[in-house]
Amino acid sequence: MPHNYRVGIDIGGTFTDLVIFNTKEGRISLVKKVLTTPTNPSRSVIKAISEISNKVLEELEFIIHATTIATNALLGQLGLELPKTALITTKGFRDVIEIGRQRRPELYNFFVQRPSILIPRRYRFEIDERLRFDGEVIKPLNRDELLRIIEEIAKEGFESVAISLLHSYANPVHEKIIEEELRKAIKDIFISASYRVNPEHREFERTSTTVVNAVLMPIVSRYLRNLVSNLRKLVRAEIYIMQSNGGIESVSRASELPVSIIESGPASGVMATKYILDNLGFKNAMSFDMGGTTAKAGTIINGSPLITTEYEVGGKVHVGRVVKGSGYPVRFPFIDLAEISAGGGSIIWVDESGALKVGPISAGADPGPACYGKGGVSPTITDAHLILGRLNGSYLLGGDLRVYFNLAEEAFKEKITKINGLDPVEAAIGGLKIANSLMSKIMRIVTVERGIDPKDLVLVAFGGAGPMHACSLAREIGIRKIIIPESPGLFSAIGLLVVDFKHTLIRSIRKTLDEVSFDELNNIFTELENRGVKLLISEGVNKGDIIIKRYFDTRYLGQGYELIISGDGLTHGNYLDEIRERFHSAHRNRYGYALIDEPIEIVNARVDVLGMISKPKLTRLRKREYASIEPIEHREAYFESTDEFQLVPIYSRDKLWPGFKADGPLIIEQYDSTIIVEDGWGLEIDDYGNIILTSV
Amino acid sequence: MSQYIRMEIIKGALEYTAEEMGIALRNAAYSANIKERMDHSCAIFDKYGRLIAQAEHIPVHLGAMPLAVRKVIKEIDFNEGDYVIFNDPYYGGTHLPDITLITPFFYQGELICYLANRAHHSDVGGKIPGSMPGDATEIFEEGLIIPPVKLIKNGELDRDVLRLLMANSRTPKIRRGDIMAQIASNNIGLRRLKAILDKFGKENFHESVEDLLDYSENRMRKMIQRFPKKTIYAEDYLDDSGVSDEPVKIAVEIIIRNDEIVFDFSKSDREVDGPVNAPYAVTLSASYFVLRSVTDPTIPANEGAYRPLKVITRRGTVVDATFPHAVSGGNVETSQRIVDVLLKGFSEIIPNRVPAACQGTMNNIVIGGTDPKTGNQFTFYETIGGGFGGRYGLDGIDGVHSNMTNTMNTPVEEIEKRFPIMIIKYELRKNSGGLGEWRGGLGIERVYKILTKGKLSVLGDRQKFAPWGLRGGLAGAKGEYILVRNGKEIKLRSKETITVMEGDLIIIRTPGGGGFGDPRNRDKSRIIEDIKDEKYDKEYIERSLGALD
Repeated sequence: MPHNYRVGIDIGGTFTDLVIFNTKEGRISLVKKVLTTPTNPSRSVIKAISEISNKVLEELEFIIHATTIATNALLGQLGLELPKTALITTKGFRDVIEIGRQRRPELYNFFVQRPSILIPRRYRFEIDERLRFDGEVIKPLNRDELLRIIEEIAKEGFESVAISLLHSYANPVHEKIIEEELRKAIKDIFISASYRVNPEHREFERTSTTVVNAVLMPIVSRYLRNLVSNLRKLVRAEIYIMQSNGGIESVSRASELPVSIIESGPASGVMATKYILDNLGFKNAMSFDMGGTTAKAGTIINGSPLITTEYEVGGKVHVGRVVKGSGYPVRFPFIDLAEISAGGGSIIWVDESGALKVGPISAGADPGPACYGKGGVSPTITDAHLILGRLNGSYLLGGDLRVYFNLAEEAFKEKITKINGLDPVEAAIGGLKIANSLMSKIMRIVTVERGIDPKDLVLVAFGGAGPMHACSLAREIGIRKIIIPESPGLFSAIGLLVVDFKHTLIRSIRKTLDEVSFDELNNIFTELENRGVKLLISEGVNKGDIIIKRYFDTRYLGQGYELIISGDGLTHGNYLDEIRERFHSAHRNRYGYALIDEPIEIVNARVDVLGMISKPKLTRLRKREYASIEPIEHREAYFESTDEFQLVPIYSRDKLWPGFKADGPLIIEQYDSTIIVEDGWGLEIDDYGNIILTSV
Repeated sequence: MSQYIRMEIIKGALEYTAEEMGIALRNAAYSANIKERMDHSCAIFDKYGRLIAQAEHIPVHLGAMPLAVRKVIKEIDFNEGDYVIFNDPYYGGTHLPDITLITPFFYQGELICYLANRAHHSDVGGKIPGSMPGDATEIFEEGLIIPPVKLIKNGELDRDVLRLLMANSRTPKIRRGDIMAQIASNNIGLRRLKAILDKFGKENFHESVEDLLDYSENRMRKMIQRFPKKTIYAEDYLDDSGVSDEPVKIAVEIIIRNDEIVFDFSKSDREVDGPVNAPYAVTLSASYFVLRSVTDPTIPANEGAYRPLKVITRRGTVVDATFPHAVSGGNVETSQRIVDVLLKGFSEIIPNRVPAACQGTMNNIVIGGTDPKTGNQFTFYETIGGGFGGRYGLDGIDGVHSNMTNTMNTPVEEIEKRFPIMIIKYELRKNSGGLGEWRGGLGIERVYKILTKGKLSVLGDRQKFAPWGLRGGLAGAKGEYILVRNGKEIKLRSKETITVMEGDLIIIRTPGGGGFGDPRNRDKSRIIEDIKDEKYDKEYIERSLGALD
């Protein structure tokens, strides 16, 4: 049977999206949306799959699944009660997990709270043992005490146990003993040991990551087991799980390491961006995904998405940044995304002193923007576009959704004009500008704050609302080329289907450059690589499809934050100079200076192992001659670049084929999006049907 | 563009600039104190020295910077490319370890605004490592005093100035790294400001800044109008000056008139021989913190927001110290007490919106000496959280920093690798939160084992006057610092410098928060939870409740 199809399933808060990708033709062949069933999300997946035709199911290569179950469980979603979990830690340190970094998430709020505690103090067990920072055993583990603890854990009916001892990244000996004894004594108990989950120094972050993993293990593994056994009744194809790092993994690995899948959904938009870049021959880009409630920005440099290892699950986001201490720290590779509550549904409002604000509250899908006529009375960004002629004044979604201009206008008058006197047009313009200024911040966070100059990037804009803001945002931060993929509203889901297996393995080193030999480093890498390769092979990857990348986490001795530099291509002869040079230059790029005479500390060795999966090529479309193309209409619309209303042509994207060229200002309408081409941008449809906008 | 829309956008851009400056500083800094604990702050001022935007960093830094900038720009003739460095508390600084760097921003040859950042350097010389001697009587004992000087002149780094600064620290390379990070931070700010001006132009920018200040003022006045018109007197004490045993009184009269508010500290004690004197900037800083917290923290923090507030002090008092009094503890300890006394006052104005007393100290711990492994000098500095006060409807948070500080702890695994120190215990301190319907947060117990001969300096408070409860809630436990040598426990004072020997243990027990409401009304199930979690002993609770009947 030929393998002509791949299926991606992304469970979101409201909808479960299913995408069928025809690999032969290199394009999406079907998209389905079914309502998510939050208490038992696998039901919605099964429902979606069962609606796929038998032919597709028979020719299915694999299914890739992204899920928010991990985040939902941590946010305390109903029906996902957290399992009873214990923590075993070094005597004297059971409160490390509760004190955290001793900060409060908000400075000026007397009623501030910490996120609720995942493992209450009475479930944290202390064991007498102690290692030194270099891993030397100062006090051997007290085995009698361990047996007493295990007895109690068995008696109390814990489902899962986290183990995190001081300095275990340097020597896992005691954690291993605990793990073995637990396994011997209690059948089927979930165990999350820090030396496996996150063998890096800084005890709070390591313990937190290990605890989050422990809490998620029963939930995620039960969910996946359930899902797989139900899927098996319908389809034989293998199912893989999307990770927050933009790679996939087997169900069994995800069950053991659920911290790896926490932000799997948002990662797929960036991977879709990478896919389109690879096809078009670009290396560096920003992905910009703006939907109904949020906007997200990420970057791809040299063909790879930027990765961060600092993350807080369930944390509050303030202008694109997670507020420190508001969530549960998880130290694991995540695609670096900045997010802000700004989307088509974001409400435009006036504060008590008359200032105009946008979001963070969103009208969501229900009641939605005022213009939908579903009971929404607050003006939103979508209403603003409508008032300004930037959206079709009578229908959206190719006619499937009626919109009411008068309702949008009414909402602006009622909620804004009456309070501060701004008329609906002024308020709508203001709303757009404020939304753009908020979104330009997240774009800066993922570029200039990371030492990247936006002018070296192309902007890939998608999500239903992304292409309406792309020109203004690109201008604001200095990007000169924009790509708008064929189906912006569905684009993100493609990312699920064009990814590789990916695992990151880490070993703590914490030595200065002159304290380590090349052989020592090389041996560490080799050991990590062997483990990674074994893992990939167990997941069904062929040896020939494996790619290995070496990295170091490095800093000047004494600094508290590491920079990741490549560890590839080193030899006996060059390793000292190369590492020095790579680190100094990374530091210079990021912070503007290097301290040449300072010792460099190698904090961790890090290996990425990739199991490559074939990626379909985007199909070239036939060129057409355009003697003349008729716009569907002309409309007065507001453009930010000229700050005025202009009568512009409106095109239907269905009718635009490769070879079409035009200059802004103009508007293009399509089923799942509207594209605003501002003055000063030239438009071209490329060979694959993408819209390419170039600043002129 | 409507002026309010432009204002909103420029406000956002300025706040973002300050945030980005903070990130650049943290990322590039060298010392654990800045990198790991983020003991630094960034802000932007207009050409008159008025605060126009800040990032939410450390309240004690932020509130004190406006005065500093105003004083420095009066004194110094700024040219494009100048970076002025200073730490003089009598120039609007806070205490000597807090070094500030100010850079003017010129656009098309015209001075537009100033960028400033302030970072706590873990050693600036003086008689002990960490530069915060608990027994200092003159500022000269607390380290190098840097008056405003140009570290960079017309874009040219003055290496002599840098060498002079480095030579006066026990950890010169770390000082250089942190100072370079401060420069990098202002550089980021300059770049970002230029982009803002490119977009909006000078005229619009200036107009929007005026609008922004007026907007904050307007919102602040509206909030104050909602308070009952009252005059309330409150007082509270510091344990002692660090030199004598006399308690030190901080007193305030809070006067609320229509849309204005006055904090009058005139009845506070005279300045003392000891390090707890607060320069006026610190008092201002604590006042700003309280004003923002009791009104609406979403009001943009700028000069406008503070216009309705008048802070009155008497020169030569502990809240308005004069040269050459020692001040290192004013910033960290007295500032906390100023907040406490203000909140005590506000508890009679807006009773359910103010928490019972938080731990009321920062527990500054400095350990320094010679590292036997490397032969180099080391200075380890950190502050330790404690109990947050109980609140109407909520228990206080256990083991957290409160009010004027929010710095992070240093990871044990970082300390043990980098310093000849081991941490033996780090846990919540049982029974330390004041009982109440909503109990105070627990303090922390942290135990250090000293691995080489060196100096220990502690600077804390609330060992004699416990954090108070509110509305029938009981006081939190007082703090305790203990030296264990050869198995014998020796109680330390709250402000003290001693020589420590290899094998000594230092036990730091930080204060708990005060309770809120009568403890007899506490939900029984919460009491049971606390006992199960070993946060309290059953006997302790029974005994304390018994004593109430």
